[in-house]
Formats: sequence, structure tokens, C-alpha cells
Amino acid sequence: MNQLLKKKSVGRFLMDWAAVIALVFSIIVFTIMQGQAFFSAANATNILRAMSITTIFAIAATVTMAPDGFDMSACTLASFSAYIFASSFLWFGMPLLVSAIVTILFTMVLYLLTMFLILVCKIPDMLATCSLMFVHQGLGLWWTGGGAVSSGMPTRWGGQPVRAGWTEGFLNIGRAPWCIIIMLACVAFAFIFLNYTKHGRYLYAMGGNRVAAKLSGINVKRYRFVAGMVTAVFIAIGAMVVCSRNSAAQITGCDNYLMPSLAAVFVGRSVGGAEKPNAIGTMIGAALVAVLENGLTQVGVVYYVLPAVKGAVLALALVVAYASKKED
Amino acid sequence: MDKITLGTKNVSIEFPGVKALSNVDFEIETGKIHAVLGANGAGKSTLMKVLAGSNPDYTGDVLYNGKVVELRKPVAAKELGIQIVYQEVDMALIPSLSVAENVMFNHLVMNMGHKQFVDWGQIQRDAKEVLKRLNIDIDVSQLVGNLSLAQKQMVLIARAIQSTCNFLILDEPTAPLSDTETEELFRVCQHLVATENLAVIFISHRLHEVLQICNSYTVMRNGEIVDNSLITPETTTKEIVEKMLGRSFEENFPKEIVDIGGKALEVEHLSEAEGNVNDVSFYVRRGEIVGIAGLVGAGKSELCKTLFGALKKSAGTIKFDGKELKIKTPSDAVKYRMALVPEERRKEGVLVSETVDFNLSAACLGKFCKMSFINKGKTAENASHFVKSLGIKTPSIYQLVRNLSGGNQQKVVVGKWLAADCDVYIFDEPTKGVDVGAKAEIFKLINEIAKDNNCVIYASCENSEILSITDRTYVMFDGKIMAELETAKTCEDEIMHYAVGGTEAYVAS
Repeated sequence: MNQLLKKKSVGRFLMDWAAVIALVFSIIVFTIMQGQAFFSAANATNILRAMSITTIFAIAATVTMAPDGFDMSACTLASFSAYIFASSFLWFGMPLLVSAIVTILFTMVLYLLTMFLILVCKIPDMLATCSLMFVHQGLGLWWTGGGAVSSGMPTRWGGQPVRAGWTEGFLNIGRAPWCIIIMLACVAFAFIFLNYTKHGRYLYAMGGNRVAAKLSGINVKRYRFVAGMVTAVFIAIGAMVVCSRNSAAQITGCDNYLMPSLAAVFVGRSVGGAEKPNAIGTMIGAALVAVLENGLTQVGVVYYVLPAVKGAVLALALVVAYASKKED
Repeated sequence: MDKITLGTKNVSIEFPGVKALSNVDFEIETGKIHAVLGANGAGKSTLMKVLAGSNPDYTGDVLYNGKVVELRKPVAAKELGIQIVYQEVDMALIPSLSVAENVMFNHLVMNMGHKQFVDWGQIQRDAKEVLKRLNIDIDVSQLVGNLSLAQKQMVLIARAIQSTCNFLILDEPTAPLSDTETEELFRVCQHLVATENLAVIFISHRLHEVLQICNSYTVMRNGEIVDNSLITPETTTKEIVEKMLGRSFEENFPKEIVDIGGKALEVEHLSEAEGNVNDVSFYVRRGEIVGIAGLVGAGKSELCKTLFGALKKSAGTIKFDGKELKIKTPSDAVKYRMALVPEERRKEGVLVSETVDFNLSAACLGKFCKMSFINKGKTAENASHFVKSLGIKTPSIYQLVRNLSGGNQQKVVVGKWLAADCDVYIFDEPTKGVDVGAKAEIFKLINEIAKDNNCVIYASCENSEILSITDRTYVMFDGKIMAELETAKTCEDEIMHYAVGGTEAYVAS
């Protein structure tokens, strides 16, 4: 009996820390294989920089998923936000800070549409955001006139942009250490918001059992809305970092971050036995993806096979994390 | 036509701690409609499940035409032509498939063999054929999801008689039906018995219906069969009620005497949007515990939830101290200092994946916050206070609620509302699934709440509980209040009389 209990708790421990163990394990393996080339301050910065964008989008997803919501359209919305950011900076010559504020407000306003479909029209999150993906893509390209927004190119209506090119300040957003600092700030904010404020606890309560939360007097619609608005802010931040990193608001520039960010949240769910989307777990999930990408490239896995290896390791982490789930 | 008999000899079933059936001898024969009656928890459904093969752990014998048969699997029962239609029709139907597919479902699952393609023409023809045997008219190409509840029931009955059917068990079939739909069901049952020589076993709480349609009845109480009789024109609901209840009430909990104040909560002409609560008016005075009695499905839970804003109200006003309360959502209700301890504890009451600490502060988290930040010291103080004063057995306030026993979870739910300091406490079946010890503690707690000058509404289908804890009781039937009774001056018979739909005044025997 005792032995069984012990065995069970060992299994439990492995499941709870599967993502962390996988992370540490891959760091060790890559260090053994590559030595200094992998295990160095410079490469650590590389990895952190690489994971920063995924992490920011994953934090946005974490906040949405805490009350059991879901957003497929986060990254298409981010692409749109990036067009707005780049165009308000270049075309209209707004100061950097003003452009950032405009972008954040714009994203929140557009997110009202998402909230309208989910809360007023009562469409399931997944379906509502699936359809919005196309809306975002189409409207975004309508705004840019069908192309990217980048320096040296005329505006949509063929005029001369107010600014001729990017400034150092603008480009710094996407560079280390700034993008890393922004990422850490997002993680810290989400961590505190979800764990130490009543709003966060309400969101988790809704995620755990929506009916019970509602019958406890929690205004579930209002809090789903709050979660949506916080998500919108993170999406806007992510969009700005991407835009700066690419030195342009590229067509569908952010769309590819959706799946890695969702994967990060799912991998991070079980970290430390939390069993719910949580900020720290999410960051560990994103780190795992980034370490694998970096390490595998160094080891010489060709870039086009990389997704398969990455996917396999993620699947493995998820298998372990969900192994304890009871069958219905 | 040859008669087939189905019976049980000495059948018992024991669940941990309870004897659900003890030495039941039961017999029915084809060509009859037979009623199985009893109060909630008397063992009716358990016995039917044995006959349907879904209760494999029985001891004793099931006899088919006098021979012992092993009914340890639903398939075994079906092979003998014993078909059951459960009360929750939606559990057995697939709403996104057509009527034809649902009727022929057993055929599609069991008899396809190596055939890979579905012969739609055949399926539709067969389904039409079966519905014709029932003498009812439903378009077979329609989706089941679009049907009314009564029609869904017909589809299930059609499915049952589509394969061999000698014994058709209907578990509370009329509970959700309107009067005309019930008539239609009766017509179908009588038609089936007359034309197909099968037996219908009918479980119902509505005794006047039973008298109308059945040939004979069995009364069960506490897992035993108390009586088997034929129904004659002389049979009355009253004598059946007496048999159902027996004469022994043991459970008695102390009722504390509390000074009752003036009317505080007044509810007028309250109706729920789906019709489960229909023009209900009542009032609760300060310090008073008001019972809502009635059978399962009478609309008690719906009334509680409509009051609390969890179900949509279609008409009526709710007033507290003369002021109208505009309640649209539960969060409005909480603002007006109302509390609901819901029936489905794990599904609706507690957040099982959260700690005791969080659950106890969930209804009034704002109280423990400074600028939206939770003061964990304060919530812990609150939690420790209630764990101690309510006697919640938990190793720590940071234990997840899922690890507590049922009674302790219920105390957590009550504690959550005590922390929020409400004026109106609504309890919906608070003792469901808790043991006797915890029950007594919960009763004590409810008495304390009333003593503090609060209004308490106590809904329960256990009449003994209603009798022991309330001051006044309203009896519900079919979403309506049938009677208002002074608890001290009433008895279980009188409650039951109104709970089964009695409209004429009760006369004590």
C-alpha cells in the first residue's frame, strides 16, 4: 500500500513537472552535444529573444483560457494591429508612444467585435473566433491596400509617408534586451493579475466550474469581457514587438505565432500541478519550444524538418501532462 | 394469446451502507398495465433496473415464465423482450439524427453484421411501420432534436417495440408531459396492450393517472414490497398514499423556537420562462423557515433558481421589505443579499478545483480586497473562522474542495453564504447525498440562520425533513403551489395529498 502510494506520488510528480523536466533535459542534452556554443550567455539571450513574441501571444491566450475561453483569431488580429502600428508611425508620423497607444486602443476596440459575437450572440468561442480570423485578415489588408507597411514605400493612397524610415527607438522594441524585458513584464503582470487580484480568481473560478461560479454571484459575462480586454492589450503588445522585429508590418506577419502560443499554454497548464492555464507555466512552455528550436538548429537538423521534431516533443510533453486525466 | 410472466424471487441489492432492495418478490404478466409506486428512494427504479439488466449485482432470482434467467447485462434483458424507457429521454436519443434512425437504432447497431451500407429506404419504411403500430403520426425524416418531449418519448417507445418486446417499462413517463400529451401516452399504452399482448410497467408519482390507466399496482417502501393489489373502482389515492408512507416516521430533528417577525420576502405571481414555475405567490417572514414541498420534478428547484435569477423569469415581482428587487442574474441576487445553496452540489455549488479558503470567500471576495488585490491573510482568517464554527472537517484551509466528503462540501457552500452575510437563504435539497450526522448539523446550521432574523426557504422532496424543520410549507405540483400549510398542524399524508396533485381539500382519516 505504502509503496503504491509512493509510486503514485512519484508519477504525480513527473506529470506535474513534465514540462520543466523536458526543458532541463533538453538543455543538458544540447549542452553535452554543443558545449559552449549552446550553453553561453549569448545563446541564452538568443533563446530568450526568440521566445519573447511567442510568450507574449501565449500570455494573451492564457488570460483568455483562464475562464475557459478560446481565441483562434488572436494572431490575425495582431497582424492587423501591426499594420495600424506601422502606418500610424510611418504614414502619419505619430510619435512612438502615441502610435503604441493608438495600436492598443484600436486592438481593444476591434476586440469588442469578438466579445459581441461571444457574449451577445452567444456563439461558442472557437467558432466565433474562427470566422473572425478571416474578418481580421480581410480588413487588415483593406487598410494597407493589399501590401505590407514598411519604410520607403508610399502610403495606401499613393502619398508620401510623413516619416521616411524607422527610428532607432522603434527598432529597439524588437531587439534584446527590450523585447525580453517586455516579455517578462507581460508574464509578471499576468501572474499577478491572475493570482493576486479578485478578478483573476474569478476568472479561474469560471474556468473551473462556470455554473457554480455564476451561482456564487460572479457576473460571468462581465468577467469574460474583462478577460477579453486584457487579452486585447497583450495582443497589441505582441503585434508591436513583431512589427519592430521585422522592421515592417508584413502581410500575415503574426499569423504563424498562433499554434506555438497555444501549444505553450497547453504544455504549461500542468506545471507545478496548477491544472489551469497559468503565466509561469506558459512561459516554461514557450521556453521549451524555443530551446528545442535553437538546439536542434545547432545540432544540424535542417530547418524544414524542425517543425516535426518540435511537434513530436510537444506531443510527448502533452501526453505526460494529460496522462492523469480521467476518462469520461 | 399465451401469457408470459416475469418475476423476481428474493431479490436484494445492497449499496454500501444501504439496502436498496430487500427480498423482493414481484410478478407481472403480459396483457396488463401494472403500476409500481412508492415515495422517493423506495426502490422502484432499482427494481426496474434489475429487470432491465442494468443492475448486475443483485442477489436472488429473476424468473421468466417460471424459469430462472440471468439478467446481468442490458442485452440479456433485451433478448427476452424486456425494454425500458428511462425518464431522461434525451440520454437515449441522438438529437442530430432523424426519427427513422433513432427508432431503428438497435437495428443499426446490432443487426448490420457485415453490411457496410445503410439501406435508407428500408430504414424509413421499417420506422414508419413501427410508428404505425403505435398509431401515431411523426415524420420519420425529421431530426429528433426538433421534436417535443412527448414525441421523443414516443420515438423511444417505438424503438423499444421495434425489437421483441414483451415487457415495456416506463420510468416516470408522464412527469414532464402536459395533460393532453399524457392522454396520448395512455392511448398508446392501452393500444399496445390490446394489440400486441405486452405488459406495460408504469412508474409514476401521479396517483390519479395510475388509477385511470393501470390494472394493478405494487407499492414499495424502503426497498420492500408492501402491497400488491388490483385496481378496482373503489381504490382511492388516499389508501395508496397511506401504504406508500407506512406509519413509521423515525427521523426527527429538533426544531428551535424562534420569534417570527413581519413579512420580509414577498413573491407575487412568479412564473419561469419555460413554464416550470407557474404563477407562484408566497411570502417569508423574518426568522421563519418556509418549506417548499413536492415530488421530484414539481418545480421546486426551478422556483429556487428563478428567485435567484439563475433561470429566466417571465412574470411576477419579488419584494424584500416592501422594495422591489430587480433580479436578472445571480449576481444581482447576491447584491440584494440573497443566497442559494443549489441542489447539484458538485456541479453548481462548490468550485471543486479550488481550495476551501477560496470557496469560503468566493461570494464576497471584494470584502477581502484592497484595490482589487486579495488580502490572503484576511481570506485565511475568514476561512479558519468558518471551518471552526461550522465544524468543516478538512486537514487545512488550503485543501482542494474535491477532497472533502459530501457533507463537508455542503458546509462549505453554506459557509460561503454566511461569509457574505445575506438576508434570504434558499436551500434546495441541502441534505441530498449527505449522511445522517451531517444532516443534523446542517439542520442546526439552518436553525441558526433563521434565528439571526433571516428569511429561509427550504425546498425538499423529503417530507419528513419539511415537517421537522419548517414553520410553514407550500406544496408544489406541476409548477404551481397547491396548498399553504402550517407545519405544526399538518402531517405527511396531507403534504402527499397535495404533492400528487390533489385539488380538493384534504380530509384527515
